[in-house]
Amino acid sequence: MTDTLVRPAPEQPKIVDNRAKLWPRVVVAVLAAPVIFGAFAAAKGVDPLAMYADMVRSLADPAQAQTVLVRASVLVLAALAVAVPARAGLLNVGGEGQIVIGAVCAAGVGLVTDQRLPGPVVLTLMIVAAMVGGAAWAGIAAGLRLTVKVNEAITTLLMNFIAIDIMLLLIYDPWKDASGFGQPASRPLEDTARLPLFVPGGTLNTGIVVAGIALVAIWWLMSRTGWGFRLRVVGGNPEAARRAGLRVGTLLVTSMLVGGALAGLAGLVHFAGTEFKLRPGMTANFGYVGFLASWLALHRPLRVASAALLLAAIAMAGDSLQIDANLPAASVNVLMAMVLLVVLGFTRRSKK
Amino acid sequence: MTAVATPVDNATALLSVRNLTCRFGAVVANDGVDFDVAPGEVHAVLGENGAGKSTLMKLIYGVYRPDAGELRVDGVPAAIDSPAAARAAGIGMVFQDLRLIPAFTVTENIALALPGRGLRFQRRALSARIAEQARRYGLPVHPDALVAHLSIGERQRVEILKVLMAGARLLILDEPTSVLAPQEVDALFAAVRALRANGLSIVIITHKLAEARAIADRVTVLRGGRVVLRNADPTGHTDAELVEAMVGRSVPGLASHRQPPGADVEPIVRLRGVDVTGDRGAPALRAIDLDLRRGELVGVAGVAGSGQRELCEVILGERRVAAGSVHIGAVAVHGRPRQALAAGAVGVPEDPLTDAVVPGLTVTEHMALADLGAARRGLGIDWRTVTADAARREERAGLRMAAGDRVVAELSGGNVQRVLLTRALGAPASVVVAAYPSRGLDIATTRRTQELLLEQRDAGAAVLVVSEDLDELLAISDRIAVLHNGELAGIVTPATTDRYAIGQLMLGGGQAGEDSGNDDTAGGE
Repeated sequence: MTDTLVRPAPEQPKIVDNRAKLWPRVVVAVLAAPVIFGAFAAAKGVDPLAMYADMVRSLADPAQAQTVLVRASVLVLAALAVAVPARAGLLNVGGEGQIVIGAVCAAGVGLVTDQRLPGPVVLTLMIVAAMVGGAAWAGIAAGLRLTVKVNEAITTLLMNFIAIDIMLLLIYDPWKDASGFGQPASRPLEDTARLPLFVPGGTLNTGIVVAGIALVAIWWLMSRTGWGFRLRVVGGNPEAARRAGLRVGTLLVTSMLVGGALAGLAGLVHFAGTEFKLRPGMTANFGYVGFLASWLALHRPLRVASAALLLAAIAMAGDSLQIDANLPAASVNVLMAMVLLVVLGFTRRSKK
Repeated sequence: MTAVATPVDNATALLSVRNLTCRFGAVVANDGVDFDVAPGEVHAVLGENGAGKSTLMKLIYGVYRPDAGELRVDGVPAAIDSPAAARAAGIGMVFQDLRLIPAFTVTENIALALPGRGLRFQRRALSARIAEQARRYGLPVHPDALVAHLSIGERQRVEILKVLMAGARLLILDEPTSVLAPQEVDALFAAVRALRANGLSIVIITHKLAEARAIADRVTVLRGGRVVLRNADPTGHTDAELVEAMVGRSVPGLASHRQPPGADVEPIVRLRGVDVTGDRGAPALRAIDLDLRRGELVGVAGVAGSGQRELCEVILGERRVAAGSVHIGAVAVHGRPRQALAAGAVGVPEDPLTDAVVPGLTVTEHMALADLGAARRGLGIDWRTVTADAARREERAGLRMAAGDRVVAELSGGNVQRVLLTRALGAPASVVVAAYPSRGLDIATTRRTQELLLEQRDAGAAVLVVSEDLDELLAISDRIAVLHNGELAGIVTPATTDRYAIGQLMLGGGQAGEDSGNDDTAGGE
C-alpha cells in the first residue's frame, strides 16, 4: 500500500495561469488600438495608412523626437506619482494638481533666488521645494483619508482644481510679470537656473536624466526594499498587513508623499526645462496622461518608461493628425483612451 | 483493504459517472472514476484534500471537461460542457465559497439565478415563491432580507434555494459544513433530509466521517484521484475502515492527558473585565476575566458568534477593548497587533482570505511577514534569511506546505491553512491564539495540527484554541472556556466534564435553548 501521508498533496488545479502570457496580450492590445482608431479615421474620410505614415514620419524628425523625449520625461515622473501609491492600494488622481503645486513651489523659490544665487544652487533649491510642495499637497489627501476616511481618489481629483486656482491667483496678481504685456504669467526663470540642455538650441534638457534617476530609484524602492514589500502587502490586503503588525497608516501616507514628491518633480522638470514661467494651461494634462501611463504599465516602474514614451509619441504624432489629416485635435485623446481601454480590457485577470 | 462496490442499477440511476479521467499537466486529478447517484438518495463523497473530490464535482457540474469517460443523466449520455448545460440537465452546485451579492436581497439574488427574467422581475410573486419553497424544504430565510445581514448558515440556505429554484434535481454541496457551527450543521442536515423526502438527490462532499455517517445513504471514497470505495453503505463499514480508505493507513490517536499547570503558575495572558463592541455596534464580549498560563492549552467553545472571534482579536491586539484590560506579560495590548506580536503572540486567523492572505504574494513572501524585522538587511529584505526561516518552520511544523514560489491566493483552502499554520506554529512563541486551526484540513493534517498545538504548549506557550468540534477541544484542552452571548459562561476541565454539560453552558446554562436562537446572526464579519 502506498503511504499517502508522505506524498505531497496535488494542488487544486487552476483554470488558466495567464500571468506568463501577459506580455503578448499587451502587445496585441497596443496593436489593436491603432486598428480601431484607423477605422475611426476612415469613417471620417481619412486614409488610415497615410495618416499613420504621416504620424511616424513626423516622429522621425529630430526636433520632434526631442520633444517626445522631453514630454516623456515629465510623463514618467507623473506616472510614477500614480504607480507608487497604487502599490499601496491608493488611487492618486491628483497628479495634475501636484504637478502644478510642484511648479508653483519651484517658481516661488526660483524667482526669488535666481538673480542672486548661482544656477546649480537655485536648481537644487527648486528641486527640493517642488518635491516638498507636491508631497505636501498629496499628503493632505492622505491625511484626510486616514482621519476622516474620505476616499483619496475624490480628494486628489478635486484638489487638482484648487491647485490650478492657486496658480492662477498667483499669476494674475502677486507674481504677474509687469513686462508681460498684460498676459497672466510669471516672469521667466533666468537662463542660469534652467535645466541644462543637451544640445544648445535643441529642446532636450536634463530633465530626462532626472526622470531616469527617479525611475531607477523607484524601481529599487519598490522591488528591493522592505518598504516596497510592505507597500505591496498593504495594497494587497490592508487588514492582513495590520494583523501582521505593519504600520498601515504610515505606509499609506509615505506612499502618497513619495507619489506627490514625484509629481512635484514632474512640475519642476516641466517648469525649469520647458516652460520657464507659470502660465495658465502650462501643465497640458500631464497629470492625467501620467495616470493613463501608470495604468498602461500596470503600475510597474520599469514598464512606466515604455508607456510614457508611447503616450508621448502618440500625443506628439497627434499634432500631425490635426495638420495633415485634418482631424480634430481631440482625436489624439480618442487614440490614447483607446490604447488604455484595450490594454486594460486585454490584461485584467478575469476572476473565475 | 479492497474496494467494495455495491451493485447499482444503471437504468434507475439519476447520474452515472463512468471511467471519468481528468488531468492537469502531469497531475491526474481523477483517474477512471465510477460513481452513481440514485434518485432520492444522499450520497457522500469522502476523501482527503487533493483526493479529487472537488475536481469530480466540477466535472459533473461542467466547470472542467473530462479527458476521458462519460456522464449519464437518467441513463442517457449527457454532454455537460458548461455549468449552464449542467443546470439544464437538473444538476445544481452549491460552492464552498458562497456566491451571493451581499448588497442584494435574497429575492434579488435568486432572481439573478433564474433564467430569462430580464430586468423586470415580479418581486412580490418571486418572494412568495421563495417563502413557499423555504417552508417546504425547511430552509428558513426571509426573502426581503439583505444578504449582507445574513449569517453564513443563512447564506448557505439561500444558495440551496437558489439552486433548487433554478430547477435542480441533483444538488451538489461542496464541503457544506466547513463554514457552519454545530447547530447550523444540524439545521442543514434536517433540510437535506427534507429535500430527500421530496425526491431530490444530494451529493455531499466532505472529509468528516461523522457527517457522512449522520446524513448519507451511501458513500464513495476517493483517494489520489481514484475511487477506493464505491457506492457503499456506510453502516457496513467501521470508522477505522473508512479512515483507512481515505488516508491509506490508520491514524494513531493523540497522546493521552497529563497534569495541567496549577493555579500557582503565573499567567502570561490576563484579561480583566474586558468589554468589546462588535462590528455592528452591539456588545460582543462582556466582562471577560480570563488567564492563560504558560504550558497551558485553553479551548474555547461556544455557539458560532458568541464572541470567539472578538476574544481572539483582543488578545492579538487586532481589536480594541471598550472597557477592561488585556495584558501579555507586562505589555498592555491596546488594539495594536504590533504590541501583541512584539510580546511573542502569534495567531491563526478565523478568516484567512480576508485577514491574512495577500493577493499576488507567494508562500515565501507570506512567510516573511512572520518576522520582517529579522530579515532586514539595510533597507532591503534578505530573502535568503526568509527562505531559511521558512524551511525551519516547515520542517518543524511538518504540514507539507506548498512550494515557496506558489501564490497563496491561488491555493486551495486547506493549503492556505497549511501555510498560515506553518507560519504561526513553526517557531517558538509565548502565546498562540488559533481560531478553528483545522478548518479545511484532512484527517492526517488535522492530527498533525493538534500535535503542533500540544508541542507549543509543552514548549511553554500559552495556547488558546477556538474550535467548533467539542471532541477536539475535549481531547487537547487543559481547560475549556465556554462563551455564551459574549459572556464567559464557565470554565471547565475536560477530565471532569462531558460534552452535554458543555453544551448546556454554550446554550446559556440552566435556561438552555431559550435565547440561543439569535446567536448565529450576531456573528459573521
